[in-house]
Parts: sequence; structure tokens; C-alpha cells
Amino acid sequence: MIRTMSLWATMAVLALGTLSFDVQPQTDPGDKLLGVWEPSNGRARVKIDRIGNKYYGRIVWLIEPNDPETGEAKTDKNNPDPALQNVPLKGYRMLKDFVYQEADDSWTEGTIYDPLNGSTYSCIIKMTDENTLDIRGYIGVQALGRTDVWKRLVMPSR
Amino acid sequence: MNLAGAIFEAKRVESNLLAMMKNRLLQACAMAGVALTLWGCAGSGDTANYEATDLAVVLAGPLFEGPNQGQTQFTFSLAAALGKAFEPGMKVRDARIQSAEVLPGDSLGFANVRSFVLSFASDNPDASMVEAGFKNPLPAGVNRVDLDVAPNVELGPHMAAGEVYVVLDADLDEDFWDGDRRFLLNLELNITY
Repeated sequence: MIRTMSLWATMAVLALGTLSFDVQPQTDPGDKLLGVWEPSNGRARVKIDRIGNKYYGRIVWLIEPNDPETGEAKTDKNNPDPALQNVPLKGYRMLKDFVYQEADDSWTEGTIYDPLNGSTYSCIIKMTDENTLDIRGYIGVQALGRTDVWKRLVMPSR
Repeated sequence: MNLAGAIFEAKRVESNLLAMMKNRLLQACAMAGVALTLWGCAGSGDTANYEATDLAVVLAGPLFEGPNQGQTQFTFSLAAALGKAFEPGMKVRDARIQSAEVLPGDSLGFANVRSFVLSFASDNPDASMVEAGFKNPLPAGVNRVDLDVAPNVELGPHMAAGEVYVVLDADLDEDFWDGDRRFLLNLELNITY
């Protein structure tokens, strides 16, 4: 009897184990934004991650990582907060706080930071195809802005 | 209208103008007084120190040369933080970072780490992610890193949200294909309520 129950228990565990392999993790439709992207000028690469329910993009590669004047790694020297002007530019989150809007398949409510002048602009992201983004930075209303096209990069594998 | 009448009329207009300017000045002073009072109220308030300690930050591998994101989170409750001192209606009005300390969380310590950047975020739709501290470059041979913090950065909206996401970016000088990197984070914040 005990052996029979043990067999049933083992089979149940195995069945549950099999089931658990079949269950796919739920992904948010906005997660298609995740990945590494390159702006049109090709001078940087930005990795977009999700933290909580918002999306953020940080600089992970710069074509010119060092300041030509000092030879040191570039820092966010134009940051309006003097206490943060020595933060490394590589790693800086230039895209912040984007929320996915399923209704029009876009990411809104976010901002884009221009480290060249220390300015932050409102921004909206639209995906024109799975490897192309329209990133529109604007002041006040979307009509007063500029759109840049970013391309997805494939992450290296071992 | 004779000359005397014209002079009288001019003086009357001048008098009215002066009275109007005086009223406007008084109104402006009164409004400034109200604004200063409100500002004074907003600036006052009780403060409390809050410590979030032993926060385990994991940088999930594979990790690549350059900045890699580590993340942890903690739940803040003003009622829990204040204990018996808490009264209904109290809420977080401001929060500033006082100190941030990073400790090794695995046997690798700080090997191959060039710099750290500390940021705060939350699901609060009205609050933007903010950088609140960094260390660049990391001193050699240390077994603990005190980050340079930015005490002017406003963390109140994130603390008020309750669930606070803490992001620690580590800039690595080489790839780590196998395994994760782990650090412990101790934070001290000043809460105004």
C-alpha cells in the first residue's frame, strides 16, 4: 500500500514537473522594447531594461568613451546638479520612466536626456518594426520636436 | 473747462492713480505674505532618520565589460518607520539621502569594478528615476565603498510610493560570462513628514 502511494506521489510530482515546463512565463507586451539599440548617428548604444512597470535606457557603449581633453572616461559634466557631474556617462540612463500604452502601441510619459547640453526633453517611443524605433524628443507639444530612428543590435553570445 | 477745473481734474486722476497703485502694492504684499507663510509651512515638518540595511543587490550574469545593472527593492511605510509617533494623516513630504555604503556580497569583492552609480525609482507615475550617489573611480584595495551622495536630490515621491526600487550600476572592466555579482547596500535617508 505504502509502495503504491509512493508510486502515485512520484508520478504526481513528475506530472507537475512536466506541467511546469510547459508553462511559459507571462511577458508584458511592452517588453518587446527590451534590448540594445543604436541611435542613427552610431555614436552610442543604449540598453533598455524594465524596472517595476517603467522602461529605462542606459548608455552601454560610446564610440568615444574618453574625454579628448583629459583622456579620462567621459562624465556627465553638463548635469544641472553639480554633485552629479562626475557620474560616468557610460551607464547613464538617458531614457527614463517610459510606460507602455497598449492602446496605441507606444511608450510614453518618459524623458530623454541629452548629455551634450544637460537638457531633458519629453519623449515618446514608437516601434515601426521589431528592430526599429522612432524616438521623438519634444518640448511641450509633440509637434515641437525631433525624431531619431534607432536600430536594434543583437547581443553577443558565447 | 477752465484752467482751475483742468488742474483739479488732473489732480483727481493723479490721486486715483496713486490710490490704485497703493492698493496693488498692498495686494502684492499680502500675496507675498501668504506665499511666504505657505513656503514656511512646507519647509517645516518633523524629520526622522530611516535606514535600509543589508539590501542584496544582484547583477545577473552574463555580465559584459561596461556598466551592468544591479537591482533590489525595499518597502517603506511611514507608519512602520515612526511606530507610536505615527498619527493618521501623516505622509512623506520629503526624503533625502544621507549616506550609502556598498559592501561585497560574494568572494569577488570589488574586483574588476570601476565605478558604482546609485539610483532610485518607483511605480509612482509622477516621480522620475533619479541618481542619488556614485563612486567614480573605486579606490583600490577597499573592502567597503562609501558612495558620494547627492543630498539635494528629492526622493520623497519614491518613498511615498511605498515600494522603492534601488538600482546599483557597476561598471566592470571585463566580461563575466559565468555567474552573477553580488553586493550589499546600506542606505540612510532623512525623511520629512
